[in-house]
Amino acid sequence: MATQKPERFDQVDWTEISRSRWFDLSINSIGMLAAALPLLIVALYDWQVLDERTPTLEPVGPAWDVGTVDYLFIFTLLLFAFYIVLPLFQNPRRTKYYWREFKRNRPAVVSLGWLAVVFVGGIFGPFFISAPEQSILTGYQPPVFLSVEQSYVSTCVGEVVNNQCQGTWQHPLGTTAGGKDVFSGIVHGMTISMQIGFITTTIVATIGITFGTVSAYAGGWADELMMRFVDIVLSFPTLLMFLLILYIYGAGLGMFIVVFAAFAWGGTARYVRSKSLSISEEEFIKANRISGASTYRVVRRHVVPNAASSIITQLTLLIPGFLLAEAQLAFLGLGDSTIPSWGQLISAGRSDLSFAPWIVLAPGIVLFLTILAFNFLGDALLDALNPEAEAENA
Amino acid sequence: MGFGRYVTARVLWAGVVSLIITTITFLLVSAAPNPSVQEAATQAALQGGDPAEAAERARELRGLDQPLYVRYMDFIESVYTFDWGWSRSRSQPVTEALGQGLYYTAQYSVPWTVLTVLIGPLVGVYSAANMYSWKDHAATGFAFFGYAIPNFFFGIILLLIFGVWLEVIPVVYNTDVAVFSVQNAVQLSIPVFVLVTGSIGAVMRVSRNESAEFQNAEFMKTAKAKGVSPLRAYAYHVMRPTLVPLSTTLVGQLLALFLGSSLLVEVVFGIPGIGRVTYNALIAQDTNLLLGSTLAFTFIAVIGNLLEDLVFTVLDPRISYDDR
Repeated sequence: MATQKPERFDQVDWTEISRSRWFDLSINSIGMLAAALPLLIVALYDWQVLDERTPTLEPVGPAWDVGTVDYLFIFTLLLFAFYIVLPLFQNPRRTKYYWREFKRNRPAVVSLGWLAVVFVGGIFGPFFISAPEQSILTGYQPPVFLSVEQSYVSTCVGEVVNNQCQGTWQHPLGTTAGGKDVFSGIVHGMTISMQIGFITTTIVATIGITFGTVSAYAGGWADELMMRFVDIVLSFPTLLMFLLILYIYGAGLGMFIVVFAAFAWGGTARYVRSKSLSISEEEFIKANRISGASTYRVVRRHVVPNAASSIITQLTLLIPGFLLAEAQLAFLGLGDSTIPSWGQLISAGRSDLSFAPWIVLAPGIVLFLTILAFNFLGDALLDALNPEAEAENA
Repeated sequence: MGFGRYVTARVLWAGVVSLIITTITFLLVSAAPNPSVQEAATQAALQGGDPAEAAERARELRGLDQPLYVRYMDFIESVYTFDWGWSRSRSQPVTEALGQGLYYTAQYSVPWTVLTVLIGPLVGVYSAANMYSWKDHAATGFAFFGYAIPNFFFGIILLLIFGVWLEVIPVVYNTDVAVFSVQNAVQLSIPVFVLVTGSIGAVMRVSRNESAEFQNAEFMKTAKAKGVSPLRAYAYHVMRPTLVPLSTTLVGQLLALFLGSSLLVEVVFGIPGIGRVTYNALIAQDTNLLLGSTLAFTFIAVIGNLLEDLVFTVLDPRISYDDR
């Protein structure tokens, strides 16, 4: 593509840049549509044609019943692939610059590595590692290289040395009281965490960006009203409202994601609004307007990309809050008990902490590392994507 | 707009926000079938009566047969007159139950808030003054650790170490000891430590990054040149401007933490505070008590945000009232 090397003015592919009609889609949007339409068709087919008990993919083979959360997750993954990952390949020069800036922050690189592990484990892990299954007889198996007193374990899978049950590679991180494998529980928990992270982020970004730009461009009393609404959203006690909804209607993972995302976009909207207001004063926006660009085009092509770095940073720092909230609810026994999340594991092992600490420690440390990684990453992105902020932090 | 008018407007706005949240709560509750009506119907069916009639009677008894707006006005009136009904599970008025809970919650949240507000900015400014030294790195590491470790997870680990293994603190909070006694201080030290660790990180980071700006400001150079002692220079010329941006985030963060953590920490350590009351109400299906504690937390949050805005204007006289 000619836009890859815009150093020389005469080499710029103006038809590429001046694409203005909405139906003249970029390669990203074409790919997105091509991937999302079949997904939509499958979802509709699942919803309307198949009866509730038939797993979605039964006609094809695997007995994987795709739920609403799964559809949303796949959709957000597609968005991520086509609008975040693909542009990085389309513009290698910029990517290299970001990477250079990012690389200087070593904890952030390690964090990115850890998050990549969680990401890959969460997406592909469940296809290779079966879901943890209940088996009372092999409860309280210790992790590999560790041992536990024989009296706690009914059937020791490994060897028994000096009345101590040894851990085996069959259960590398041990098992819970019900004999569920902790390692596979953690891998399946990665899926849940990724689902929470991706879906909430998409919802928050969509509402926040739309609300912020509309508010900035509407101006006057509409702007005032919308920002007061944001104030209310920001001061809303989400966890309590969720408890109330849970109490009255009952709630699963989908409800959790919707409620928490619905009250988390306030900060993003505020930020996008102030950014739009400041950008709309810039010379290049005026030039754009004079050339006849519509408001939508200005917002889509200039305001949002200019605010993107800070939006991404902010979203990165929001995700740990969601993960923590899910773990807290699961720990209280109020989470979705049908899903194998990290919080469920922690709460499962709580009463056996004194002699079987691995049940709590393993998922707890994974949760801790993931939250830590998101925080480091957010900090580093702030520096890498936003050169102005660097002056303050350096 | 003068200060007086600004305060009035801000207080009115807080009232509006609390009214809106109360309204949403009401709509949530009234849109769902009332569990006690269903209970009455089931009861009647079991005893051979007419379930529909029993449900009707139960609805009448609770005033549910009245139109929505009448019930709404009643609800609002009773909320703002603190007539919050009777707690079924605790056999006492809801306000009384919440008051008892608040008594225990205050015992750990007051030291927690004071410690966070005092230590956080101090350490933050200190590590900005010694930027990139090992002290700064240690403080940053601690900040990230505290920020990332889930409170309840940290709590159960510490409870295992200090409660089960070392037996320094009781495993379940002992309510028999006097409030101002050594025993109480000891058993509350771990919950307070957990909470402070969780909340201080963000305060430290913000105050470190904000005060870094003022370190090399012209007025600091002037102050140093005039021979002002470093302590005074930092206290007057770095700390004060740092507190302004800090105060915008501090209260909000503390409140958010308070809502979530008080629940978790009280459940982990067995403190019978307001979070625990909420949790038990949820488990015992005590609608009135759950509603009451939701409203209590909401009002605490609204008042907290109000105070934050007022403190903000007092701290920074440069900000004009018209902007907000």
